[in-house]
Amino acid sequence: MFRVGLVGCGTIGSVHAQGYTRMEDVELAGIVEVREDHGRAMAQLFHTTWYPTIEALFEEAEVDVIDICVPTYLHRGYVETAARAGKHVICEKPMARTLADAQAMIDVCEENGVRLFIAQVLRFFPQYRKAYELLQAGAVGQVGTVRTTRGGVFPTSWNDWYASAENSGTLIVDMIIHDFDFLRWCFGDVRRVYAKSLRGRDLNRLDHAFVSLRFENGVIAHVEGTWAYPSGFQTRLEIAGTGGVLEHVGDEEMPIHLSLRERIGRSEGVAVPESPLAKDPYQLELEHFLACIQSGAEPIVTARDAYEALRISLAALESAATGRPIELEVRS
Amino acid sequence: MKVGIVSFAHMHAHSYANALQSIKGVEFAAIADDLPERGQAAADQYGVRYVGDYPALLAEDIDALIVCTENARHAEVVIAAAKANKHILCEKPIATTLADAQAMIVACRESGVLLQTAFPVRFHPAVQRVKRLLEQGRVGRILAMRGTNRGQNPGGWFVDPALSGGGAVLDHTVHVVDLMRWFTGSEVREVYAEIDTRFHDSLAVDDCGLLTLEFANGVIASHDPSWSRCASYPTWGDVTVEIIGTEGTLSLDVFRQHMLLHSDLSGHTTHENWGDDMDSLLVADFIRSVAERKASPSVTGEDGLRALEVALAAYESATSGQPVRIG
Ligand SMILES: NC(=O)c1ccc[n+]([C@@H]2O[C@H](COP(=O)([O-])OP(=O)(O)OC[C@H]3O[C@@H](n4cnc5c(N)ncnc54)[C@H](O)[C@@H]3O)[C@@H](O)[C@H]2O)c1
Repeated sequence: MFRVGLVGCGTIGSVHAQGYTRMEDVELAGIVEVREDHGRAMAQLFHTTWYPTIEALFEEAEVDVIDICVPTYLHRGYVETAARAGKHVICEKPMARTLADAQAMIDVCEENGVRLFIAQVLRFFPQYRKAYELLQAGAVGQVGTVRTTRGGVFPTSWNDWYASAENSGTLIVDMIIHDFDFLRWCFGDVRRVYAKSLRGRDLNRLDHAFVSLRFENGVIAHVEGTWAYPSGFQTRLEIAGTGGVLEHVGDEEMPIHLSLRERIGRSEGVAVPESPLAKDPYQLELEHFLACIQSGAEPIVTARDAYEALRISLAALESAATGRPIELEVRS
Repeated sequence: MKVGIVSFAHMHAHSYANALQSIKGVEFAAIADDLPERGQAAADQYGVRYVGDYPALLAEDIDALIVCTENARHAEVVIAAAKANKHILCEKPIATTLADAQAMIVACRESGVLLQTAFPVRFHPAVQRVKRLLEQGRVGRILAMRGTNRGQNPGGWFVDPALSGGGAVLDHTVHVVDLMRWFTGSEVREVYAEIDTRFHDSLAVDDCGLLTLEFANGVIASHDPSWSRCASYPTWGDVTVEIIGTEGTLSLDVFRQHMLLHSDLSGHTTHENWGDDMDSLLVADFIRSVAERKASPSVTGEDGLRALEVALAAYESATSGQPVRIG
């Protein structure tokens, strides 16, 4: 039986909360939220208690694991508090806004003998897992080029924190870090990064980035991220090799399309595509992390992996800012 | 109007030949080729005369030429044709060096003949429509563009650097860069590229790459020119451009007008395209410009030069590891 304390219950926090309520042998011990009304509403929805601070949670509830779903720039502080209280930590991606923060998080968890898991969830998405497995099986031969696309409309959030490059690191740190982690999983370390983005162009909630990656193994990858669409969200993945091409187009892999006639009083949009799964990837991910705590096993994605993905994001950000390609030093 | 074709080295000569035969008022007069067997075979196929290599064709009383030699021979043929006062439609890339391209442009200007670069994609109805939508400001100001022009290794002289001047990056950069220039009305200012040979063993030219671009007006772009489609891919490749604007986004997939054929005969699935043939639209446009004695063609030699410049800058960037500035 795990007792999980959730810190931050916005967009992704509520997905995690939902996941925990669906698990057997897991109790959502409490929700820590700065917004009292919202926190109370979430606590009610997920049959648990709202706490204004993590200290209040620790005082009143028994907790084994802290799950951190606050905005990125706040991750480190909560990880440190949780680790020092002897709690295992699950923390949303991107791990942190800076490498110094990320390293401090790894260190504090090591020093306090607790586990640290970073929710690089793409490795738990069935379509990306499938692509990974096909690659391992040599389905496309030797890989030459890879292309990924991720994004849609500019995200809305508490305090509009995504709009602050200082806090979110733009979509390069916040969103396409998913693809960086996935690609590292598939192809190993990155040698060189070059990027262009719309950051700093005085645009009203519009951002778009092209990142060029060269892997140590020679693979050339194009990673595209967008917060410039009028609506929606989409992902694409294409892996081209000497013996095949694997194409994933998220929009085209939806088993359900519901189209409703317009009626007065029905606000719902026109067509709603759906792709239901027996278990959503977030729940799979959280279950995996808890199982790793139980067994002591290494997770599918380690905190070090998350650190390396952040390193690629920050290199891309630096390249976009300076106009120069960034060579990543090889780590042992 | 009498029109001839110089060389069937480039396979597009066949679709241009078909186009010539279908346009009213045009006489597909003769074929020149430095390879007699290839020239004769084409002549037999289209029921026209084979006259030998290109000087023989230049000596004839014809108005215009379509040049489909190997890339490295464009300059020699085009300059000679200009001196012989023939209007010219030249296959892309316009040349393999900037000096050659410039000399071609100068020669045509001095003789007062038209030099059109064969960028047929501009004439595709879907592309024309996109140009209109952009002119109407439907997506607002363009901020970013993502292009692809993937394909398969064409083999033959295309992979002999002395004749082609380069591999996938030269072959498949120019069409989309031309579209991007046309759409934005701006020139590429900076090019960064990763280029390699990763799909074919012991190829003497590159077969893949990734270009990251910035235009003079600040638009950012990327382009993938790789010969990365496997043999069993359902079609030869693609031409796509996605445009991100201040008011919306627009995605263009030029060859999307296709249906799927799943066939036990071929053993796989193929795209069966039912869209318009842009090569014949290109040839018709060129013929119209000649017939109407226009002062300049709708796609100029200069357009060919600008696109070539970007491809060559990509090679320079991949060699130096640094972005390359143009202009
Ligand atoms: N894995 C994914 O796919 C995914 C998706 C979205 C977000 N994320 C990541 O999750 C994190 C949160 O993003 P989000 O979209 O849910 O943001 P959000 O703004 O929707 O939610 C953040 C929540 O944290 C609360 N909060 C803010 N400061 C707090 C504090 N000091 N203590 C307690 N609560 C506080 C806010 O009230 C809000 O409810 C970010 O790191 C983001 O990058 C990951």
